[in-house]
Order: sequence, then C-alpha cells, then structure tokens
Amino acid sequence: MATPNGRKLLEVDHLVMHYKTKKGDVSAIEDVSFSLAQGESLGLVGESGCGKTSVAMSLMRLAADNARYLNGEIRLDGEDLLALSEEAMRKRRWKSIAMVFQGAMNSWNPVYTVGDQIEEAIDLHIEPRPTEKQIRERMSRLFEMVGLNPAMLDRYPHEFSGGMRQRAVIAMALSCDPRLIIADEPTTALDVIVQDQILKELKKIQEKLGMTLIYISHDIAVIAEVTDTIGVMYAGKLVEYGSTLEVFHRPKHPYSYLLLSSTPSITGPRRKLAPLEGEPANLLDPPSGCRFHPRCPFATEICVTDEPPLEDKVPGHKAACWHSDRVPVTIGVAV
Amino acid sequence: MLKYVAKRLIQGLLLLMLFLALLYILLDAQPGDISLQLSANPRLPPEAQEIVRERLGLDQPLLGRTVTYVLNFFQGDLGLSFTQYPRTVGSVILEKLPRTILLFLSATILAYYMGFALGKVMAWRRGKTVETGLTLGGVAAYTVFYPWFAILMLWFWGFQFGLFPLGKFIDVDEWTGAPMAANRVFMRMLISLGILGLVLGAVSLLAHRLPPERGEQVARYGPPLVLVAFLAFWWLSPLRSYVADIAHHTLLPVLTLASVQFAGVMLLTRASMLETLKEDYILTARAKGLPQRDIRNRHAARNALLPVVTSLVLALSFVIGGGILTEGIFSWPGIGGQLLDATLTEDIPLATGTLGVIGIIALVGHLISDVLYMYLDPRIRTS
Repeated sequence: MATPNGRKLLEVDHLVMHYKTKKGDVSAIEDVSFSLAQGESLGLVGESGCGKTSVAMSLMRLAADNARYLNGEIRLDGEDLLALSEEAMRKRRWKSIAMVFQGAMNSWNPVYTVGDQIEEAIDLHIEPRPTEKQIRERMSRLFEMVGLNPAMLDRYPHEFSGGMRQRAVIAMALSCDPRLIIADEPTTALDVIVQDQILKELKKIQEKLGMTLIYISHDIAVIAEVTDTIGVMYAGKLVEYGSTLEVFHRPKHPYSYLLLSSTPSITGPRRKLAPLEGEPANLLDPPSGCRFHPRCPFATEICVTDEPPLEDKVPGHKAACWHSDRVPVTIGVAV
Repeated sequence: MLKYVAKRLIQGLLLLMLFLALLYILLDAQPGDISLQLSANPRLPPEAQEIVRERLGLDQPLLGRTVTYVLNFFQGDLGLSFTQYPRTVGSVILEKLPRTILLFLSATILAYYMGFALGKVMAWRRGKTVETGLTLGGVAAYTVFYPWFAILMLWFWGFQFGLFPLGKFIDVDEWTGAPMAANRVFMRMLISLGILGLVLGAVSLLAHRLPPERGEQVARYGPPLVLVAFLAFWWLSPLRSYVADIAHHTLLPVLTLASVQFAGVMLLTRASMLETLKEDYILTARAKGLPQRDIRNRHAARNALLPVVTSLVLALSFVIGGGILTEGIFSWPGIGGQLLDATLTEDIPLATGTLGVIGIIALVGHLISDVLYMYLDPRIRTS
C-alpha cells in the first residue's frame, strides 16, 4: 500500500523530543519510529502522560514552546516537517494534516457559527479560492457525510449536543481533504452510546475516503475498533508495534498484556481483572534499562541494566522486551 | 431580540422609578430644608416661612411628595433650584451635563480603545520585556492616588510647560465678540462628534460586510478619511478659533482621566486574554493554520472582549465619583462640580435632580451593554 515511488505517506524516524522545564528535561518522546502508508490507520495507546499526545502535537508541530527536538525526522511525503519554516508549516496544517482534538467539546469558538469556522479553514487552504456557493455545497456534503443536517451550519456551537459537536469537528477536519487525520481521544468526553456511533462513523468515513488515520486513545478497546495497526507507548517510548489482531491476541510486551487484562470483556469468557499496579514512570528521571521494569511482573536483572531494542518478535510484530516469550496469550478481550 | 431589548427597557424604567423614590426619601431624611435656610434670614417672619413651606408643598406627607416628585420627573419637571432661583433644575442640568458627557465619553472611548489594543498585545507577548514594562506602568497608573495624579498633570503640562490652560472650559478673553454663546458652539461640537462616531461605526460595519479584499481596504483607508473630513469641516468653519479653544481646554482633563482608566482596561484585557489563550479553540485555530494575527484578533481577542465590556458598565459609576474629583481639580463646569455645590449649599432639588440624571446615565449604560453583549455573545442571544 505504499505510494507509487515506494515511499510511505508518513515516516517518523527516531524522533526524540524533550520538554525543557525548570526541574530538568522531561523525556516525552524517546526514539519513536513508525510509518504509515496512504489509507492505513494506526492506533496509539498508553496511559496518560506516556507521550501519545506529544507525538500528535509534534506531527502538527504544535507542541508547547519548551519542546526541544533532539533527534529524528517527521517526513510527510518525503518532506521533513521539523525542518520547515513556521510559515511553511502553517500552510501545511489542516491542508496536509488535520486533527480532531481531545477536547472536541471545546474545539469550537463560541462566538462564531460552526459554518463560519469551517469556512475559515477552506478559505485559507483551498486554491483557487472557491466561490461562496461552492464552499456552501462542500460544507453541506461534509455535514451529510458525518450525519448532520446541513442547516446546522448556521448554528452556533452551543446549539449542538456533545456528539453533534464532535461530528462537526470531524467534518471540519475533512474540509480541506487532508492527507492525514490525527484523532486525539476524540470520544473520551462522550457517553458510551454516542462514542460508539462516532467510532463507527469515523471508521466508515476512513474506509470510504481511503483516509490515513492516527487514532490516539488510552482505551485499547476503542482503538481496536478503528485501526489496523497498534502502537503501544510507555513512558515516551514505543514498546510494541504490530497489527491490531496480533497485538490483541498475542501481545509481546508485558505492558500491553497488562493493559489488555485490565480491560473488562463482555463477550469473552469470565475472568478476573488484573489491575495495572504502580504509577507511570517519572519522565524527569526515567528508570534505567527498560522503563517498564519497576512495574513489570517478569522483570529480571537485565531489565534494570540494559534497554531492550524494539525488534521483530514475529515478522511484522515488534516489541521492546527481553522476556517477550514469557508474555501469555490473551483470549479475545473486548473485541 | 427586540423583545429582549423591550424587556430590559421596561425593567430599567421600573428601576428608575424605584431609584428616584429612594433618592427623594433619602435626601429628605437628612436634617434641614429650605425653611431652615430661610430662618437664617432675620427679616423673614415665621409666618412667611410657613407660607413658603406651604407653597413648596413641604407640609405635605412624605409619601405624597415622593410620588409627586417621581411623576414630575418623568414629565421633565425637576423643580426649581434654590440657589439659582428662578432657574429650573432641568435647565441647570441641561447646561452642565453635555460638558461632563463630553469629558467622560471621550476619555472612556480613548481609554478602552487604547487599553484593549495594548492589553491584547501584552497577553500575546507574554514574558517579553514589552509585557513586563507595560504591566509595571499599568499597575502604577492603576493604583495612583487620582487627585494627586491630576494635580501633577496640571502642574507639569499646564504650569511648567504652559501647553494647556489651567482650568475652565473656555478662555473668556477669546470669546468677547463671539458670534455665538459658548454653550451652543459646544453643543454643535458634541453633535458633530456623535455624527463622527456613527459614521465610523458604519464604516467598520461596511468593512465587515464587504468581501475580504475590499473590506480590508475599507477598514484601512475609511477611518482616516472620515477623520480628515471631520477635522477639515471644523477647520473651514467660521467658528474655528472658538472650537479650538474648547478643544484645547478639554484635552488635559481627558488625557488625565483616560490614562488612569486606560491602565485598568489594559490590565483587565491582558488577564482576560491570557485566560482565552488557554482555550481549546485557540489550539484548533492554530491547527487550522491560521496566521498569528487572525488567531489573536479573530479568535482570542473577540472572546476576551466580553469581560471588558462588563467593566465598561461598571466604569460608568466612575462618572459620579471621578466626576467630582476631575471637575473640581480642572475647574471644569460640569455636572459633578454642580452636584458638589448643590450639596454644600443644601440645594436639595438640584442635588436630587443631578443624582437622578446620573442614575439615568448608569441605566442607559447598562442597557447599551446588555445590547452589546447580546451582539457579542450568541449564547445570550438565544436564551
């Protein structure tokens, strides 16, 4: 599924990003690499503070002012985004990479109509500038696609329910035909039923448009519903990477395994939930060796001293663990 | 929307009635009335005093007098001034009020315009030298003891440099043989300023309605053109030197008042803008690839404006307190000084009438801000 010249759409290559703070460097992204071809979808999963959002923000180059990129490249269509000038990057935002935010409830400016805010993006990025009528038609089509009545375009955000606002955000993300869409916990603030509807909608649109999608969530069950590939992050590092089914049924990293077994299943056999013990690692002073070792039930001497490389355990299924053969197989959880 | 305005209007009228009644009763409750002043005159026998009381209706019960006063007030009859007899309170207020309105309106507009413009830049440049400097200056100006500051301004600009006159609102020598009374010239100035404001408003509305490219041109060249036309109008007018004289007298009090008000507005805008910048929709705007200027003005400043508008209403109460101070220090013959005089000379009708009119100003201000708010915040428009 690579682009004609064999290049992937998005390549993140050995990315290292630290936040500079008064207390020292916070290692938010530590040597993360992955790539996505056109039409693929990747889910990033992990606890709060594991670096998922930092990765997303880095792709948009919207990370906080104190973010420092120490190494690595983010290539979109072969072009290193980190090397672009701010002005050049600004022109690529929304047009090349659009984003559905974590707080989509508050993603709308309360004083402008939803239509005006979508139009703002179209005005900025689509050339030659379409006529008022074309813009209107485009927005109506988008609204229909996400299951909203086009008449709602003239309404203000406060007249939308939470789910409707989120649908509208998705419509706005699609408005400039971006190459890549990043959805950062888009359904977290919604109730379970609406969450499910939005997920199905997103999945449908992704398949229909052949859209490339990065979906970020702390909820591994949600990720499984939308994406083909999963990347599990822990303490700023990518610890496991593989196809969704593989990771789900045969996790190769104890952290993924524990994440899965702490999620209840409705359809699978009845089993005891195993809570994930301990606190997430302190990124100001990350643990030596494998960053997960203080919480890992399988940790041995080597885990404390040496850092495991992220390598193929099964072809196409990578994990960074010295003891991946000891991680038990999980039986279909929650999917 | 009209229903909302009508509702607010009716509420305002009821409030005004209540305010007037309360005002009348409170001022009546203080010791002394006109007859006590008359009794200081040994040539007036007690019978005559009684007659005066009767003719003024002061022998009537308080409730009846209050109702009569409120009803008369609404008919525009504010009674006779004791100290400027036989002038009516209405005519005294009509003479002095426009001067006060000019002083405060121009100072307030100047302060809010500058304060908002600088405050939003301050928040945007958080942590830079510009911000630290402006914050320090702003806090200093905001906390300064106002009478001292006003005297200092007068001493510095008026006395040391002689750039501005030391007080009053006209230079009497200039006006000998003037074709028109100062007050009429003044009213014309006020009306022309009102027209100027309306035209500027219309231009900015037009700039918003037109397509972006043409609108931007209108926004850039429109206001300066209108201002030039306005200045040219007075420059060519035969009243030029008189108008210039009044403007010259107005400038220093306006600047003094504005620099104190301005600091508060600037600091408030900064705080409000810093809050807004944390909002998620600012992140959305950045992700959409909007230029910095659009994020700042269209998204952040537009929302940061709401608390500033609220403070504008509260600032109207400053007209009362600040009015007395400013007009006292600059010997500005306005309504604040009038109120002070009326209180000191126990001219109760004049004091009541003046306070009543100040109440009307405050209520009108609230009404305007309600309408403004409705225009600025769609969430209020629908509920």
